Amino acid sequence: MTYLGEHTWASTLGHFLTSLSFAGALLATAAFALGTARPDAGWTRLGRLGFRAHATAVLGIVVLLFIMLFNHWFEFDYVWKHSNREMPMRYILSCFWEGQEGSFLLWTFWHMVIGLVLIRKAGEWEAPVLAVVSLVQVFLATMVLGVFVGDVRIGSSPFMLIRELPENLGLPWTGLEDYLTRIPQFADGRGLNPLLQNYWMVIHPPTLFLGFATTLVPFAYAIAGLWTKRMREWMAPALPWTFFGVMVLGTGILMGGAWAYEALSFGGFWAWDPVENASLVPWLTLVGAGHLMMVNKRKETSLFTTMLLTLTTFLLVLYSTFLTRSGVLGDTSVHSFTGEGMLPGLLLFMLVFVAMSTTAMLTRLSDRRYYALLCVALLVIGVGLQVQVAAILLFTLCSLVMLWVAYRTGPWHAAEEEKLASREFWLFIGSLVLLLSAAQITFSTSVPVFNLLLEPFTSRLGGLAEQWNSDWLRNVAGAKLAPPADAKAHYVKWQVPFAFIIAMLVAVGQYLRWKDSDMQKFRRDLLRAVVVAALLTALGVWLLQYKLVELDLIALFFATVFAAAANVDYLIKVLKGKWDHAGASVAHVGFALVLLGALISTSRQQEISRNLTQRVSGPVMDLRHLNEQFDNNTDVLLYKGDTVRLGEHYVTYVGRRADGVNLHYRTDYMKAEPRHYSSGDTVRIRSSLFRAKEAHTASVDFLLDQANYWEPLENYSRRDLWHSPHWSATRPGTKAFTLEPFVQLNPRFGNVPEPSTRHWLHRDLYTHVRYAKLDAADSTDHMPERTFEKQIGDTIVTPTSVVVLDSLMVVKDARTDSMLGSAFHVRMVRLRVRDLYDAERWFEARPVVIYRGTEPVAGKGFEIPELRAKYDLATADPETGKVGLHISDGEFLVLQAIVFPGINILWIGCVLLALGTFMAVRQRLTSKPSRG
Amino acid sequence: MKRSHIIALIVIAAAVAALVGTLTDNTTFVDLAQAFASPGKEFRVKGTLDKADPIIYEPIVNANLTEFTLVDDQGKRCRVKLAKAKPYDFERSESIVLTGRVVNDEFHASDMLMKCPSKYTEGNELKAEGEWTRVQ
Repeated sequence: MTYLGEHTWASTLGHFLTSLSFAGALLATAAFALGTARPDAGWTRLGRLGFRAHATAVLGIVVLLFIMLFNHWFEFDYVWKHSNREMPMRYILSCFWEGQEGSFLLWTFWHMVIGLVLIRKAGEWEAPVLAVVSLVQVFLATMVLGVFVGDVRIGSSPFMLIRELPENLGLPWTGLEDYLTRIPQFADGRGLNPLLQNYWMVIHPPTLFLGFATTLVPFAYAIAGLWTKRMREWMAPALPWTFFGVMVLGTGILMGGAWAYEALSFGGFWAWDPVENASLVPWLTLVGAGHLMMVNKRKETSLFTTMLLTLTTFLLVLYSTFLTRSGVLGDTSVHSFTGEGMLPGLLLFMLVFVAMSTTAMLTRLSDRRYYALLCVALLVIGVGLQVQVAAILLFTLCSLVMLWVAYRTGPWHAAEEEKLASREFWLFIGSLVLLLSAAQITFSTSVPVFNLLLEPFTSRLGGLAEQWNSDWLRNVAGAKLAPPADAKAHYVKWQVPFAFIIAMLVAVGQYLRWKDSDMQKFRRDLLRAVVVAALLTALGVWLLQYKLVELDLIALFFATVFAAAANVDYLIKVLKGKWDHAGASVAHVGFALVLLGALISTSRQQEISRNLTQRVSGPVMDLRHLNEQFDNNTDVLLYKGDTVRLGEHYVTYVGRRADGVNLHYRTDYMKAEPRHYSSGDTVRIRSSLFRAKEAHTASVDFLLDQANYWEPLENYSRRDLWHSPHWSATRPGTKAFTLEPFVQLNPRFGNVPEPSTRHWLHRDLYTHVRYAKLDAADSTDHMPERTFEKQIGDTIVTPTSVVVLDSLMVVKDARTDSMLGSAFHVRMVRLRVRDLYDAERWFEARPVVIYRGTEPVAGKGFEIPELRAKYDLATADPETGKVGLHISDGEFLVLQAIVFPGINILWIGCVLLALGTFMAVRQRLTSKPSRG
Repeated sequence: MKRSHIIALIVIAAAVAALVGTLTDNTTFVDLAQAFASPGKEFRVKGTLDKADPIIYEPIVNANLTEFTLVDDQGKRCRVKLAKAKPYDFERSESIVLTGRVVNDEFHASDMLMKCPSKYTEGNELKAEGEWTRVQ
């Protein structure tokens, strides 16, 4: 049977290309590996042929997938899941890498590009380096292969037709030749999550993946060096790649932060989410590796650590991939992929490269043989006997032991120890701290993995837990560990000390000489930076009001300012403005500013929507009465038209407007200006009234003004009290700006709030809508109504009022006859309404409903503006006294507003970090034209 | 003792401290019965929202308090007070993870992860899975 309208050729071509990409990479791996063992131009040619075939196939896959997406061929699962017809064309790029398969392709693509560059540039390193790159490509190609070996599917292909998916095989509709037109779901795709429809999703993933891909180059060079017994020579060509990776990966990570901050309602730029952590950790080790490589160029020292960090970086990239794509993170992460059977493949991918790295580190052939034998044995046992976890644990243990063996037996050890006052010693310490920092983040992020590893031992551990009666062990035995409740506090506690050490080292590093330094000169050189940093820290502590208990933050503040100042000073004094060599200094200043900006903006972020003052209709319920740990009132409720003090501004909620799928909530901000009171003005303080004795400008507190300017009023009515405003120090001045946070209405993916931020030089005001009326069509000024079925004489309590259903009247006289016609009559209910928070404040409401015979046809509600409530009568039965009443509150929205001070320091730091690293890479490339 | 040994010791000590610190800072996943067995202790509980019971969110009284009923994986039910504004599409959620503690026979949650079905589920031919979001 031929299906109508299907692009079967694309499916066939796609499967062919994925197979070709796999085969080409396999051929390249074998040929380059053989070429490394026995250098021969023939092997290299064959390897190049294989890699070029692979490259052509990958390019073909990418082009084909774009064609499928552009033309909306919804018979393909990937196209249907990730795109639709309404979506703007510019987001096709985002669709490409939204899914698991597409993002693997993106990664493969960058490796392919880098591989082609290396074929041209790597020279004598070509064979071993390309062998490693090609092997990685073999594994990546399997991830999108989508073929079945027996019952096991290997990888997931983007060229699968929906009707070919295993879950659809044999379903009746797959037998229809015109299923594409017959079944409505195929008319349009599910579409890209609207949350991802912004330019960040276009630029962030390619940058991040280029960063990930670049970490492969130093890894491949390190393996090549160990393989061909050129322990140090590999570093010179690997170094520019390493710092290029530092730049690109760093930019990618920070772009993710900027995206979260600008367009998502995470309430900040970094949430310590596992996926974010997984991208940060390899960056930390990559920075360490790069710095140690520079040490090794000068002096034979720290070789083992250099290898370890270089290899670990790429292994951590693989581990990140495993964490975020295998599904093990499950319900601990906000944005991980669901897995879909990728776990075994990803695990094998990672373990093979761990084994490869360990083997490479072993310098004795016999050790390599033992280890290889052990790995094969464990693989056979693990898979054959279905004891994977035990096998993995044993494998890890073996690898660690072998690493120790490698450390003891290898040619790593320098003849002499470094001097304490040498640059290389402190670079080594800095790299170790980076490794520790990375390890801590990895531990904490790996909690779900611990659970998986513990699972087979739960019964044994459970016995121990009962024996020792240990609750903690019992939880471990239950294999139900969860990440820390307050992730931010947990990571900050550990990472602030690490950041402090790193920042201090960044400050002093360049002032230390290689081999040994003159300490007197060292102190003299740094004096100016120390003084400047101390002054700036004092200023910062005063401005931002850091307290003594926040000593860790003050210390970090000092360290980052010191790092920035010392590197600026180095630029001026030592380099004398020679920009060619300024890369490192600029990057260091940038790094210090990133830390400083992060420190200031997160430690001094202020939720100004926190509103504990009295609301219009009574006090706010204090959440702390309920639970001391509850964060109280982080959001403010704004009635439409109301003006409320918000930090240094007043804010008015003006109204809603629909713009496509977005509902914009316009909020106007006015400057808070000093309030002038004239003689005779009355104000309310709690339930007392005061009158101004003379004209004056209010100070910050009523108590300060009371004696001089105010006299209490003895006799006043409740009406006077209600009509007198509360005393306030300020009043709304001229309009300063407007913010329009919005909610994306999306029935398919759920409604999504998007923030609106006002930027100043020294701080940002970030707002988003937490709760609001989401009905775009309803233009009334009321929230959705509450419905009550009650009896005359009943009482209703709402959050603002007490409503007594007093009486019901039927009106049918000459007047209703002439106005409505004789078939109609009017029923009216008299409501006696009391302010919930003021027992003396009574109102009356008389909503009516028009009946035609026994059918209600229309009604006229009654509004009490003082209580912001509207009463609508749905039904009223004079026989039984039954009343159907709708009560609706005035329209409001719930807004969160956070001030982030100093966040621009962070962004400036990002730019300098990227720029400085770029300068350093460029300098290295131009000063040495022949690399390797 | 050589300096490298001292450094190695410090590094090992810091690594062990980080590991232990990580494990002690961790919470654990429990069911409601276990959470009720240790009131006041912080846990994570996974379950679903009971859509039959009312979800109470009165922003006029407090904009950061949502009350609802949780059914855990064992089928035990419990009233929850969540110190957050009611999340968008809460009624559509198919699975939730709460972080909090038992206080006075209620579960007081300070944090919530929510999984919503984000794809079509109508019709048996095209199915799909949901995505998790953290409630802000």
